[in-house]
Amino acid sequence: MTDRIRRAFQSIWPEFNHPDNKHLDPYFTFSDYRKIWVVGISVLVAAALVPLLVVTVIHYQLLQKSVDSELILRAERVASNARRAVTFFLEERLNALQFTVNEIDYDQLTDPEHLAEILRNLKLGFGGLTDLSVIAHTGTQAAYAGPFSLEGRDYSNQRWFIECQKRHFYVSEIFRGYRDVPHIIIAVKSFRRDGSFFILRATLDTDGLIQTLASYETGAHAEIFLINRSGIVQTSSKHHGEIFEKMSLPMPAYSLRTQVAMAEDNQVGRKEPLIVGYAYISTQIADTPFILMVIKHKAGMMQVWQQLRSNINWFVGFAILIILVVVILTCSYMVNMLYRADKSKAETMALMEQSNQLATIGQLAAGVAHEINNPLALINETAGYVKDLFVLKEQFHQDDELIGYIDDILDAVERCGTITRQLLGFARKFEVKIQKVKLNEVISDVLVFHNKEAGYRNIKVHVDVPEDMPPVETDRGKLQQILVNLVNNAFQAVDNGCILDIKASPAGADKVRICIGDNGCGMPEENLPKIFEPFFTTKEGNKGTGLGLAITYGLVKKLHGDITVISKVDEGTTFTVTLPTRIQEEISDNEGSTGR
Amino acid sequence: MLAKRLALRGIDIDCVYAGEDAIVKAETQRYDVAILDVKMPGIGGIELERKLKELDPCLKTIFLTGHGSKIDFETGSAEAACYLAKPIQIDELLMILREVAG
Repeated sequence: MTDRIRRAFQSIWPEFNHPDNKHLDPYFTFSDYRKIWVVGISVLVAAALVPLLVVTVIHYQLLQKSVDSELILRAERVASNARRAVTFFLEERLNALQFTVNEIDYDQLTDPEHLAEILRNLKLGFGGLTDLSVIAHTGTQAAYAGPFSLEGRDYSNQRWFIECQKRHFYVSEIFRGYRDVPHIIIAVKSFRRDGSFFILRATLDTDGLIQTLASYETGAHAEIFLINRSGIVQTSSKHHGEIFEKMSLPMPAYSLRTQVAMAEDNQVGRKEPLIVGYAYISTQIADTPFILMVIKHKAGMMQVWQQLRSNINWFVGFAILIILVVVILTCSYMVNMLYRADKSKAETMALMEQSNQLATIGQLAAGVAHEINNPLALINETAGYVKDLFVLKEQFHQDDELIGYIDDILDAVERCGTITRQLLGFARKFEVKIQKVKLNEVISDVLVFHNKEAGYRNIKVHVDVPEDMPPVETDRGKLQQILVNLVNNAFQAVDNGCILDIKASPAGADKVRICIGDNGCGMPEENLPKIFEPFFTTKEGNKGTGLGLAITYGLVKKLHGDITVISKVDEGTTFTVTLPTRIQEEISDNEGSTGR
Repeated sequence: MLAKRLALRGIDIDCVYAGEDAIVKAETQRYDVAILDVKMPGIGGIELERKLKELDPCLKTIFLTGHGSKIDFETGSAEAACYLAKPIQIDELLMILREVAG
């Protein structure tokens, strides 16, 4: 991963994933920022996406429904029109035969010349007739006009003859018959003057019917064909069975009216939705064995709708992507802001707790100091008196050993007294006297105390204070004490021949920074948080009281400043004191100072 | 003990262990300087100082204290000639005594 990509990624990825300050954990208001982030994103994404998806689904369904009903309506119209046409086709021819038998009597009809004449006229008037025959009530053919020599045949056992005898009219299925050409037989029964019946039969070729049906086919995805009542295909269909084969679709239920329904193509290797319209064809005078089928392939009809749906899908996908990006970016930003605010709060709280701890220790120290002071005073005075007895009374004057012991006691008391006074000073607030102080003057004043030691120990002291440093309004005495303490500290930490660096520089508009660094022994990192606590010392034996830096810390705080330390073992230590250039004088600090 | 040490150094000093005794002494004799502890059994150092001042307005006072509380410092610096924190150095006390007594 290159640097740039990693940086971009980090700006999106929330900061809380790189926890660096474990010690601040107890001060955070919220502990699990990752959870807040995840929950926030989930809630926002759900709130934004659920309505979008619901609306999209509803839209799909509405569109689907309207497309379906539109397709059904169209199929219904085609089916009912085609039904009317087929019905009319058959009815017309039946009526023509009816007219013929009514108009022309049996004797004339059996005259072959006349029958041929009638056939010619009917062909002219309606077309599609192949032949015409008259069958007597015995079932024998009495006359025939047409291209085949079928005279004298006996039809008495044929189904159509029996049916027609019963019902007066007959329309056959399409069949191949003797000629092996698909055709339909229609027949009309009539009566002679002597009361016996005869039948006029015509053979229709199917071309006219097929043409009529074809004229209603719209587009490549629609098919119109006929089947008979046992489901045998009567006019050829592209997808649902050859002529005289069983139709691949289930048989539609009987209905007087045109029906349209959704169905599914169940042929092997294909499974596509269809719209199936059908009508049982029945003329006014005779029932027919035909069922008109209108089949539409939905997939083909739905291409426009598919296009629309793909557009909608693209749009919804794009919208979802944008919503996700916006939600994730917004959430990361907000959670990051929250985390940063919480972190700075936690840092402040940690700092406050540290100050509190120091203040508490200070109070404790004051109590301890007071309790120690009285016994110290007693020891001091008793030992002092004993010494006086020895020194002033003169009889023990020569006993240097005794005097030495007593001086040791007095020195110890003096030392303890110094500690208790320092402790009390640490706990007590002193008046802050504000005056304009030049940093370079203060620093050189402080260094006067150390010149001798520096020369003796060959320690080089570099002072770097810019000439144009503005004076600082602060308490000169306290600032001096701070610097003395820090320089003392540094002198104790370095070996002979080391270097001490004192630098001052402005820090922002209203602050100054003073750095006191050495290249001495340094301190291990685990000691750094403790060095401002009272009684903490790293000096061996009883060289240090452990109060110097605690007092320095208290003084810096009193001057509304800040003190930090950077240290590395064997590389050195740098203390940085930051002070405001102006201090608002506090009324509460208006106390008496020690009178000495 | 302190009294004995001062006496050894040639200072005329009377030592009492309670505030009431000090008042009795002060009624019969005139003193230049009173060295008082702030916290004492019976009458407190500060109250005692006021009573002694009533008897002898010219009396100077040096307070000794075991701790540096705020009130101690306020009274100390307001009313007394001097104020010393224990443990004290005998030489320091002698110097201040000479200064105060003139």
